[in-house]
Amino acid sequence: MARVAEEDERAFAELVRRYQGRLANLVARLLNDRECADDLTQEVFVRVFVHRRNYRRGSKLSTWLFTIAANLAKNEIRRRVRRRNWFSLDALQDVFHDSAMVLADSTEGRDRTLEREQLQQVVGAAIATVPEKYRMALVLRDIEGMAYEEIAVVLGIPGGTVRSRINRARSLLKRKLQPLLRREVAP
Amino acid sequence: MKCAQARRLFGAYWDDDATQAEREWIESHFVACSSCRQEYEEYSRALEWVATLPRVEPAPDLVERVLTRARRAVPATDRIPTTGVPWVPVTAGAALLLVTATLISPWMGLRPSSRIANRAPVVTPAREPQLIVPTPSTEPLAQESRGPRQGPNAPSASDPLAAVPDSLFDHSEDVEFILDPVTMRRGRASLTRAPAGAQAERAVITF
Repeated sequence: MARVAEEDERAFAELVRRYQGRLANLVARLLNDRECADDLTQEVFVRVFVHRRNYRRGSKLSTWLFTIAANLAKNEIRRRVRRRNWFSLDALQDVFHDSAMVLADSTEGRDRTLEREQLQQVVGAAIATVPEKYRMALVLRDIEGMAYEEIAVVLGIPGGTVRSRINRARSLLKRKLQPLLRREVAP
Repeated sequence: MKCAQARRLFGAYWDDDATQAEREWIESHFVACSSCRQEYEEYSRALEWVATLPRVEPAPDLVERVLTRARRAVPATDRIPTTGVPWVPVTAGAALLLVTATLISPWMGLRPSSRIANRAPVVTPAREPQLIVPTPSTEPLAQESRGPRQGPNAPSASDPLAAVPDSLFDHSEDVEFILDPVTMRRGRASLTRAPAGAQAERAVITF
């Protein structure tokens, strides 16, 4: 990062290559939108470049990148909510219905790949319906595998609040996936 | 009550963040309570699904797109300057110096230097200006444009205006005013109009 601050373009390109995967995945899971993830990831790196001299030496670079990405994703979620073209509960119900049909079709040799993709689509959609502040904590913890302390820094909230948000997010997600879970974990 | 406690520990148990005592307690509870055991299986299955979501790969040309945009971007100003004069201490020091100077300046003004204090005051009697009565002349002010005057102490006999001094004070003698700040505060200055016909103004300064 010190080389990036000194206008070293090759160092900046290396930084982008190193972190683009994690950031794109984070943004895609927060928004449940792959196309928008690229644009937002690009925006994260441009902001890093513009504010490269404001980077505090000694702080963790990944934390700084994730903070910018989380803030941009948060803004995008709120913008979509205002425009009311965001993922609706009806759409989630449609995905659930299709998925349930595929999962129930065990007698006709279901396509395992299709099933897995369908399940991933349902889970991704379910995450997208979790309220924003809980979703942020959930994705950072259970998808990116970040420590509680690091999440607290990224989100700018106390560690205790991080824990409670993650617990709340997991409970909400489990409730949303309940129909599929009951089928999968039948006693 | 036990089930509620157990479900509150689901998160810590999943994260392997529970204490040894909590872990042993919840595991014994799972043995005894099938409902909580099934709840936890669903909980852990949901989180497994989340954890196994495929990674979203960025666009192949993302690096090039970022670099293209970054080349056009204007860098933001440095909000955390690492070098340079720290302006806060400098400004605070300057303000302190100014306040100190303001506070001690009256005391400094009341103490004249020993050289001035020991000097005897020089009193020069004021000289009353003389009224110049205009006399008829064929070329009254023509001399003004002919050249520089020879000075107030060398009047010309043909030019009556030459007798008028440039100043109301006699500059042939040095007059030294010693202005005591205390006396100055009590002084007053006035400017009175000279009588009609006088070609100068008279200033009276009273200390």
